Amino acid sequence: MLKKLIIFLLIIGFFSGAQELPSASLRDLDGSVVELNKISKKNITVLSFWATWCVPCINELDAIAEVYDEWKDETGVNLIAIATDDTRTKKRIRPLVNGKGWEYLVLYDDNQNLKRALNITTLPHTLVLKNNKIIHRRTGYTPGIEDELFEIIKENSN
Amino acid sequence: MKKIILFFILTLTSSTIHSQIFDGLSIGLESNSAWYNDDKKTGAFNDEINNDKDKHLRLNNYLKLDYNFLSKFTASVQIESYEPFALLNYSPNLKGTNLGTYSLTYRTTKINATVGHFYEQFGSGMILRNWEDRQLGINNALFGGKINYRLLDVADLTAVYGNQRVGYETSDGVIFGFNSEFELDSIFEWNNTALSIGLSYVGREQKVNLDAPNFEALTNAYSGRLAFSHGKFYSSAEYVSKSNDAIVQANQISNQFIKPGSGFLFNAGYSQKGLGIDATFRRLENMSFYSDRETSGNVFFENVVNYTPGLTKQHDYLLTNIFVYQAQSSVSFLDPGLLKAGEIGGQLDLFYNIKKETVLGGKYGAKIAFNASYWAGLKGDFDYANQDYNTEAFGFGDKYFSDISLEVRKKWSSKWRSIFYFVNQYYNKKYIEGNFGAKPIVTNIGVIESTHKLRNGKSIRIEAQKLWSDSKDHNWVGGTFEFNFNSKFSLYINDIYNSGDDSSTDKTHYYNAGGSFTKGATRVGLNYGRQRAGLLCVGGVCRFVPEATGLTASVTMAF
Repeated sequence: MLKKLIIFLLIIGFFSGAQELPSASLRDLDGSVVELNKISKKNITVLSFWATWCVPCINELDAIAEVYDEWKDETGVNLIAIATDDTRTKKRIRPLVNGKGWEYLVLYDDNQNLKRALNITTLPHTLVLKNNKIIHRRTGYTPGIEDELFEIIKENSN
Repeated sequence: MKKIILFFILTLTSSTIHSQIFDGLSIGLESNSAWYNDDKKTGAFNDEINNDKDKHLRLNNYLKLDYNFLSKFTASVQIESYEPFALLNYSPNLKGTNLGTYSLTYRTTKINATVGHFYEQFGSGMILRNWEDRQLGINNALFGGKINYRLLDVADLTAVYGNQRVGYETSDGVIFGFNSEFELDSIFEWNNTALSIGLSYVGREQKVNLDAPNFEALTNAYSGRLAFSHGKFYSSAEYVSKSNDAIVQANQISNQFIKPGSGFLFNAGYSQKGLGIDATFRRLENMSFYSDRETSGNVFFENVVNYTPGLTKQHDYLLTNIFVYQAQSSVSFLDPGLLKAGEIGGQLDLFYNIKKETVLGGKYGAKIAFNASYWAGLKGDFDYANQDYNTEAFGFGDKYFSDISLEVRKKWSSKWRSIFYFVNQYYNKKYIEGNFGAKPIVTNIGVIESTHKLRNGKSIRIEAQKLWSDSKDHNWVGGTFEFNFNSKFSLYINDIYNSGDDSSTDKTHYYNAGGSFTKGATRVGLNYGRQRAGLLCVGGVCRFVPEATGLTASVTMAF
């Protein structure tokens, strides 16, 4: 019974079109509320779910930081780093982001509500959005994967 | 119930097979399984929790569906399956296949209301937090109702009511609460300064089955919070007060040992480009808070109402996670030689970016992260005979734990990068684990990690680790080798070995080998190896996992 249901859902998942980003309001590091759908409307937007304790996440964001200026110039892409830290490590987000000199907009996923709504289980997890639809999502980081990500961004930017 | 969901989905598909109808559907599937085998070195497979020696194959499966419809509604269900039993050391309440959580949410920019299971957090969670962690087997969602209202873009008001999820059932005790958060900077229209205050209340009501209880069925907890930031400086404070309640030890409610609880958390930091400093202080006294009193301190984190994680750096390497601190928030008066009422301490973080083209930074620069933490028991008068205590507000008692770590990340060339990591730890086993004979141990751990990028997306990662200690019991070495064939395939092998005299781990290789395949949001991992008995920690909360050998597989998918 459960198996059939899972297979059935996998088939749906396979054939269904681009998924809509659920509406969500997150806070930036200063505590201001940001409606995610509004800021991800224009251009291609990359949502990168990370945490201060996740080494591959930091490796990925460090690697992208080095080429981010070129990415923006070429495609106008906007990367939003969504921190999923719980309150134990939440306080490390701001000094870490500034210490590393990342220029991404960093939003805080309070109690991991957005992570849960998008059924994200492993970090890092990256979504590429166009017109608020998820056109690509993937998990994990290995060195060099940022180049593949940029190919996808280039293909979809006008 | 499952049939109803299936019927619902089938109806949707048959009525219109149009891909748009599924645009609002998000599916998540996670399966973690293990085949535990008997191990010549460490003994036969034995599941003490379920008292089972035969069922070597275990599966934990989670299927979650979220359906967004009519632009304002989300229906969510999570089906869970633990067959024939859950993985080792999960709660025995997690067994069989059933509906784990379900909810319906209505959301506009002003209102967010949920009926069914929901996850809520007030402030830092010191007064209330509901969350799910599948690795730890935690799901303490509230089952009831929640409403959140955003007032004039300056305040958030939330009310919750429900029973906590325990296995597939719910708690005896009822939890209800109210939270408010006011953004004063928005009211006063400040631009460079952020100031907010928060006030919360959480009540826990559970019937007391005593003839003449000296405490109330209802326990009240209040919290006040303040957060301030100006330019590059930021700071926050939180205070929680919990009303008189019976102390519970070893599942026994004491009618003669009635105490209030409190928690204080202070944080301040400064950050600018290339530099970040952050300091945290926390004091907890009798802050264990459970929806059912008699479950206080249970190892499965069932019925837990609040979140008091160990505030130390979460290390990333095998040998840095052998002696892990767990927050000591509860009262323990089980023995006159071991009296505890809470903890006091703090941690300091420093992040610094050494610029490119400098003497220290070289061509590519370097990144430095420093962390130090210190935790001690509360200072005060502890009266074992009369089961009572009085603590000093800011007094430090016996030292429980300290940890100093330095991480340097250095890029040598476009192909090579390395991480140097050093940790010094003090671990007072007697107090942290309640283990009498144990002496405190001091360890020094060094790790070198290097990544080399090859052509065509291939890369190699190597880790070498060493742990020295002042005890003849612990002297570890470890290593990891990882090969990434491309962005999809990777293989790894690691091993740690203790050449000390510790009877439970010495002369045993804890080796693991495995690989993973990742495509898009689907990840399949396979691992064979021997797992060290110890703490598995996520987010400062740790679950004990027993020694086991076997093949484990995990599959995660998201659509």
